[in-house]
Amino acid sequence: MKKVIVIGLDGFEPKIVEAMMARGELPNLMKLREQGGYSRLKTTASAQTPVAWSTFSTGTNPGGHGIFDFLTRDTKTYLPLMALSRYEQKNAFVLPKVVNMRRGTPFWDLLSAKDVDSTIIRIPCAYPPDKVKGRVLSGVGVPDLRGGFGTPTFYSTRKDLHTEQSEKVINVSVENDKVATHIIGPRDPKTKSDHKFDISIEIQKSENKIVITSQGQPDKLEVGLGKWSKWLKVKFKVAMMQSVAGIVRFNLRQIEPHFELYASPVNFETEEPLFPISSPQEYAHDLAMKIGRYYTAGMAEDHDGLNNERFDETSYLDQCRIVLRERRKMMEFELGRFEKGFLFCLFDTPDRLAHMFWRFTEPNHPANRGEDVSRYAKVIEEHYRECDEIVGEAMKHADDETLFIVLSDHGMNSFQRGLNLNTWLYENGFLALKSGFKPGESGDFFQSVDWDKTKAFAMGLGCIFLNRKGREANGIVNEGDVESVQSGIVSGLTGLVDSVRGVVAVRSVARGADVYHGPYANEAPDLVVNFSEGYRVSWDTPLGGVPQGLFADNTKKWGGDHVIDPALASGVLFINRKFRAESPGLVDLAPTILNALGVAKGGAMEGSDLLS
Amino acid sequence: MKILVLNLQGAARVKLFADERLENLRRLMDMGCFGELEGDPREWNILARRESHTLTLDEFLTQAEKDVAAFDDFAALQTKLESGVWDYCQLNASFSTGGGSADPYLDFDLRLGDALQHLSDDTLLAIIGESCFVLVASNNPITGYQDGSTLDLTPTILELAGYPLPSGIEGRSWVAGMELNRASGLTEDEQAMLRERLSGLGYI
Repeated sequence: MKKVIVIGLDGFEPKIVEAMMARGELPNLMKLREQGGYSRLKTTASAQTPVAWSTFSTGTNPGGHGIFDFLTRDTKTYLPLMALSRYEQKNAFVLPKVVNMRRGTPFWDLLSAKDVDSTIIRIPCAYPPDKVKGRVLSGVGVPDLRGGFGTPTFYSTRKDLHTEQSEKVINVSVENDKVATHIIGPRDPKTKSDHKFDISIEIQKSENKIVITSQGQPDKLEVGLGKWSKWLKVKFKVAMMQSVAGIVRFNLRQIEPHFELYASPVNFETEEPLFPISSPQEYAHDLAMKIGRYYTAGMAEDHDGLNNERFDETSYLDQCRIVLRERRKMMEFELGRFEKGFLFCLFDTPDRLAHMFWRFTEPNHPANRGEDVSRYAKVIEEHYRECDEIVGEAMKHADDETLFIVLSDHGMNSFQRGLNLNTWLYENGFLALKSGFKPGESGDFFQSVDWDKTKAFAMGLGCIFLNRKGREANGIVNEGDVESVQSGIVSGLTGLVDSVRGVVAVRSVARGADVYHGPYANEAPDLVVNFSEGYRVSWDTPLGGVPQGLFADNTKKWGGDHVIDPALASGVLFINRKFRAESPGLVDLAPTILNALGVAKGGAMEGSDLLS
Repeated sequence: MKILVLNLQGAARVKLFADERLENLRRLMDMGCFGELEGDPREWNILARRESHTLTLDEFLTQAEKDVAAFDDFAALQTKLESGVWDYCQLNASFSTGGGSADPYLDFDLRLGDALQHLSDDTLLAIIGESCFVLVASNNPITGYQDGSTLDLTPTILELAGYPLPSGIEGRSWVAGMELNRASGLTEDEQAMLRERLSGLGYI
């Protein structure tokens, strides 16, 4: 075949898709189903974006690519780390380098070796970007300028504001309709203070807008009440001789009685990114010249702003539409010049949108607290229709010699209750706290955990690690005792009932050794907890908290999730050719795509061609 | 702490400090302190002048039974640095003659970049030009522009590197009485930063 086009719809849930198609909706996906076929698509353990897309890329289980969760732990300090990439610095005198922690061989390496072109837009876990014949724009894994998944800033004249998770709050004052403040830039590792970029805000009450004046581009930026502004390019002087560029956009929340302004996380700027985000390096900026500035951070949708209630659902939807629109422009631009080879474009928005709007589909969701849910109850379905339109647009570029694939990495489900996994380990004698401490008195990062008496700890989105001798800094579990500690946890957690609701919260617990194999399996969690629908690890668990009580209601706006038993979190797969429909999995895509383009599959690839 | 001195005889201050192409040097200037030196530039390594004898930095360290080595070219220095077995290394390079290179400053910066690859964090690096210097050490509390006497540089180097100062020294350490930077575990501020970086994920 001459061309393979793959459209990724992150978190597109089969149950919703199937119900809508049964009603005759989603015409383009239905057409695709008729032309070729549709199936649910087996996801990875665990069912998370970076894990699943890395399996798509490499055709191996996570043991073959080394990404098991968004987070991993530092075996020396027990601290959580971003699992997707790492800054490595040989010594204090040289510049740090970003190293991609997704290893294995992505199938585009094999295409490049056979001189087949690839265009890959926003693939997760390719930061720094893979070098290919063609072009790559990195997706999930690209940080904001502060080095994290994204830190927005909220400006307010209110003095009683509490800073929530992952945000900065700046208390400002208005004098003569003017506010002097700054954008927060990267943290200076030496002085431990934040670099700043000064802005001056003029409030124009009669026109319900503000004008932001700065040394940035443009020098004057208008922001209308309740509206998302255009991008402002800013520069932080990080040292006497170095500056770092970024882009930020604003949403004006209120002028009176309180002045309130939201600023997005500062994204890398494409002309002068802090670290390369595309391959070849200039591709990111060439693209911006064609379609305009765009979000470069891996997490483009500002879910923090909504979760922290800095803006409302309508503004979040507006922002999701901006992201969707710019992604669509990227896709259309590339499809327009696409002649042969492989083209991939990922749309993250279905996932980020459904996380935040799922609760409106469940009137009894604890996060609703009596709120009228009808206004937003159909948002996810409406969004799925927009995604179907995008599929239709892309399908126009599929001719007789094109293999056309639409898939999602995992589905989406309800998240009503969270399990405090570390508290369960504590109550069952696997995790110990220093004397005098009880659950609820220990902060996150395992602050009060007594490592000399701890056999196992939970971190990330359902991972349990044993505190193994010779591996963890204060490991106490001997090789010979690993099996008994694992069985103890597996038998204790499997079938665990949430006594408040009287339902089973944990369906099973997988042993790392049973589900992962390959060169990086030794980095895998020892156990992975498979939750029932409606459950997930609690908010306090991923960063190593040991709160009081086993279960907690999820009262956050982030009311949907998919990090449950992978058997319940399948994605979708549509292909414009008849394909083998018995349990296709993400591992099968790489061999299928390679074969379609006449390239042999890689030695480590575990799946098989779905078309043969 | 190990000490690496790059003694660039005749290297002009205006070139070292103002040439934007010297990326490695500029990064080091940002990391540590730099400035002008007053006095005879050839006397930078003098610790003490006694009646019959002048004590120099390398001599002092040799007496302390340290692994001390001096080189005239980068290649030999590089081999020594790569070995990891050394306490004090000094490179003597002459810029007055140009060293045969068309662009000795850029050439130096590139070679400096290679040398930096082989240092450990606990290294003090001093670059000395004609009446000017750059000084980088993790515990150095002084940043930015600093000027002083040529004779003060060596006591400063010794104090930062953790050596007791010999009696009767001529200069005065710039960091005398100052609290040196210390490496520490995860501070509260760093914890907050880690939390901020990870929690933007949404899932946590």
